[in-house]
Amino acid sequence: MQMDDKHQSSASVDLREEAGGALTIALHGLLDARSTGRCWRDLEEKLRRRRVKSVVVDAGDASFSGSIGIALVSHLQSGGMTPGAKVDVRGLKDEIRKMIEMFPSESAVGAGREPSLLWRIPEEIGELVRSFALDLKEQIAFLGGLFVALPVVLVRPRRMRWREVRRVLEKAGANALPVISIFSWLVGLVLALEAAQPLKHMGAEIFIADMIGFSSLRDTGPLVTAIMLAGRSGSAFAAEIGTMKVNEELDALTTMGLSPMRFLVVQRVVAALLLTPLLTLYAMLMGIIGGVVVLRFMGFPPLMIYHEIVARVGLNDFAVGMFKSLIFGFIIGGIGCMRGLQTKEGPRAVGVSTTRSVVASIMLVIFANTIFSMADYFLNQ
Amino acid sequence: MSESIVRVVNLKGGYGSHIVLKNINFEVRQGEVVVLLGRSGSGKSTLLKHLIGLYQPSEGEVWIEGKNLVTAVDDERQELLRSFGVLYQSGALFGSMTVLENVRLPLDEFTDLPEAARNLVALSRLKLVGLEKVAREMPSELSGGMQKRAALARAMALDPRILFLDEPSVGLDPVTSAELDNIILQLSHSFGITFVIVTHEIPSIFAIASRAIMLDEHTVIAEGTPADLRDHSRDPRVRRFFHREAEPDEHKKQPHPA
Repeated sequence: MQMDDKHQSSASVDLREEAGGALTIALHGLLDARSTGRCWRDLEEKLRRRRVKSVVVDAGDASFSGSIGIALVSHLQSGGMTPGAKVDVRGLKDEIRKMIEMFPSESAVGAGREPSLLWRIPEEIGELVRSFALDLKEQIAFLGGLFVALPVVLVRPRRMRWREVRRVLEKAGANALPVISIFSWLVGLVLALEAAQPLKHMGAEIFIADMIGFSSLRDTGPLVTAIMLAGRSGSAFAAEIGTMKVNEELDALTTMGLSPMRFLVVQRVVAALLLTPLLTLYAMLMGIIGGVVVLRFMGFPPLMIYHEIVARVGLNDFAVGMFKSLIFGFIIGGIGCMRGLQTKEGPRAVGVSTTRSVVASIMLVIFANTIFSMADYFLNQ
Repeated sequence: MSESIVRVVNLKGGYGSHIVLKNINFEVRQGEVVVLLGRSGSGKSTLLKHLIGLYQPSEGEVWIEGKNLVTAVDDERQELLRSFGVLYQSGALFGSMTVLENVRLPLDEFTDLPEAARNLVALSRLKLVGLEKVAREMPSELSGGMQKRAALARAMALDPRILFLDEPSVGLDPVTSAELDNIILQLSHSFGITFVIVTHEIPSIFAIASRAIMLDEHTVIAEGTPADLRDHSRDPRVRRFFHREAEPDEHKKQPHPA
């Protein structure tokens, strides 16, 4: 965008007071992307507190490399630095004068500025409430659709794509075993170690077995499994279905007369419902083993540990854990698929859906667990 | 004749270990609108990526405004990269920024202009492409054609003397495509910007190109004005391209991925 190139090394500005209160701004040198910024700030500084009625911009001694320098002339001409003054620009070549027309008016520049924080806060709160309400509506609609689709498939199992269920069970279930083993075992181990110190003071270390049995069956087993599955499998559901949405595969299903709910969601939710209790059972066992390792290290014989656990921990504790795991499985499968279906357009959208799926699943799982614990406490009062 | 602003000498290159281009030689003069033509897989986009420094050739030189991009390093290379603008096939606008912020980004990063000046310059670029009214919108709220125009405005932010465009018309309807052609012509005539454009849109080639360079089988096979190539070329590959004729079965080859 070379307009006029006299190859002067730098640019400068001079201000001259004329008779009658007029001000002349003389531009010198080559105004390019580098020198214009300095001149602009210099002029802003010099003109900040001045009140002038008329301004003459003398650009006869200036040359322009590209249009950034011309932006300064345009800004001066439109009174951007001398509000209310009459501005006369002199010494410009016709081609430069024409280029000034490509700059927007000062009001358009004002419209391009960000609104202040004070204005943005109510706007953002409103937007947050609106998106929350819309999300809630979509969740209710999704839940309704799922409750309609699930029984149909279970009543007529031939319509179920069991191969897809098997694939999900393998990917989300069997492949997750090593991570869940380590995670649950370490949680059991750490809980036992933390409990050992205070119980030791009371000479009640053997109660570590009761605590590990209770917590593994009722809380840590189901929770650890659910959190691992939300991060590992729920996000995979969201990413798979989200990618299909972006690639228009969901549109293709719909136009073929196939419901994405029946074709994709039900398989994943059924798989999550089947594998969560199984993995939870495994996590319970690993958690207890973690605690037993600590007790053995403290010198308790295996038979004593076994009798302590069996005497204190009942079948109802196991049932509570299994019931929780079913609900958690439903939450993880459902949320993962729902966020996948909610994916918007563009490659970035899949990442957004995945993140939303993990955050929402974990939050709901912890929320549901709190409700179970409170209900259990008050019912057993 | 005006000076050569882009010069490619004996370029051999590709991506990874896959050689797609061999013995490429051509020049682009100041103010020209040059289109790089060729069938899908002929190496047009790969050549463009060598011209803009994204790919390093295994042999040869790429001269931009008298400086060799292939051997330039550190500050000299950064300076050279900033001297031209690039419009990518998808537009490549940053999705987390508004249209105005996208266009203003090079000005924010590489100039010391005050904020008002940066806004003014960015809005002037958007006005040039007819998008000043959507400056506050997010890229996802724009149509494909508008995204391309906004990306063109961003490519022009720092007053480049050369613009490289990778298939600007792809995915656009004929009307939007013609509007984009008009903007290219206006920028070329009014500001003397040199354009190097990868395309295979024949109407667009005749509307904008002052010269065409055709690639096939890894190298340049023809060079001239679009009308010359269409009417006077004896090379059957050039004729087939301009007259939209299918290749005879015995000549069919597997094209390379672009």
